[in-house]
Amino acid sequence: MLERSHIQSSGFQNVGPAGARTGFELRIRQPNYRSSRLSLIEGVDLVVDGISYPAEQNRIRVGGHEYSHAEMAEETEARLYVGTFFTVIVPKSGGLAPGVHHVASSIRFRHPYFPPQFQPVFVRSERHATIIVP
Amino acid sequence: MNAFKYGVSLYSYTDDLGTVMTLEDGFDHVASAGATGIEILGETSIPTYPEPTASWLDTWFALLDRYQLEPTNFAAWVDTRLTIGRNMSVQEGVAQIACDLRLAHRLGFKFMRPKFGVIDDELTPDPIWEPAIERNLDLAHQLGIVIMPEIHAPTPIRHPVTDAYIAFIERTGTKNFGLLIDTGIFQDRPLNKWGGGETEEIRKGALSFLNGIKVPVEHLVDVIKYVPFIQAKFHHIDEHLHDHHIPWERIVPMLKKLGYDGYLSSEYEGARDPWVAIEQVRRQHALIRKLEAEYDATHGEKAHA
Repeated sequence: MLERSHIQSSGFQNVGPAGARTGFELRIRQPNYRSSRLSLIEGVDLVVDGISYPAEQNRIRVGGHEYSHAEMAEETEARLYVGTFFTVIVPKSGGLAPGVHHVASSIRFRHPYFPPQFQPVFVRSERHATIIVP
Repeated sequence: MNAFKYGVSLYSYTDDLGTVMTLEDGFDHVASAGATGIEILGETSIPTYPEPTASWLDTWFALLDRYQLEPTNFAAWVDTRLTIGRNMSVQEGVAQIACDLRLAHRLGFKFMRPKFGVIDDELTPDPIWEPAIERNLDLAHQLGIVIMPEIHAPTPIRHPVTDAYIAFIERTGTKNFGLLIDTGIFQDRPLNKWGGGETEEIRKGALSFLNGIKVPVEHLVDVIKYVPFIQAKFHHIDEHLHDHHIPWERIVPMLKKLGYDGYLSSEYEGARDPWVAIEQVRRQHALIRKLEAEYDATHGEKAHA
């Protein structure tokens, strides 16, 4: 089972070849009460140690599939299920330094049954999380 | 005298399911509350919605049998604003409803609640709702399922949205479409914590919803003949069995007076701290059963067992 917080401890790591990291990735629990077509998630913005990583640059991995921001917006069949997580992959040359970071996430959720002024809603979470390997 | 049926929606255990609670745990809590019916959210409870695996189906029927629960309402969504730039067509809406009707039937449900996307702040449903439902009335009839949109805050009973649903029932003469009342419409005190997905923007911008729209329980008289199912929405009941937001002491006698004998299916929607919902649901059942017994006693009938 997953941690209660949206942001998960496990899975926070650098990506790309050792010594030449291309970025980092972070797992986020599907925080809504119902599963969601991927097209209903309008993006995931991250802030790590005060630096913004906007949704438009980030890629999302769900199960074994990886989506760009534009691909997510058109994916109306694949779903993100309750009780599962997705992974946000963030481009950042060199990755993040080993150690504890302050991480904040904001998911832009579109609920078509919400009043238009709340489409999307921003589902936010923040906590400390640890990078182990450079 | 009419007696209520007591149920629980697994929605009550939002955030617990998938972090600290399994589906079987959920069944155990529902059955232990003395409920006879279980309500699920299709795409939440079925890990591979809309196609359950054979092993999940085996588990589902084994749990129903083990805990002696009957499936009540299957909650579904018609996500009309499918992408940022494209709305569902009528044909896609028809297909979505048909898919959920068939799946609900396969799992043994008698009611199906579709939640349509809306087009304004009054929560007017996307106009595809009417043809999407109408073209499925024969299928619903064949499968023995009643389709029910919910009358949910901030939309009250006396409102054009509700009127349109009733006009649809009258025009088609269908027995397979009714109104689901969500008791959140009777909320008459403000919420300090909304467990439906509160955000900063909603806290600032949806005050009528968070403060309660205070529908008078007497308005049930207008619509009760169209109501086969009630979601017993609530947010906090204290250790003295006092509900801080929903006036059960007025709702229960009115439902009894009107002869309602369907389900009251708990929908806890308060603070989402781990395991809080389990005790909250039990308190709600204790409270409503107490009020029902009091009504029966003062009206000369044996209390509902």
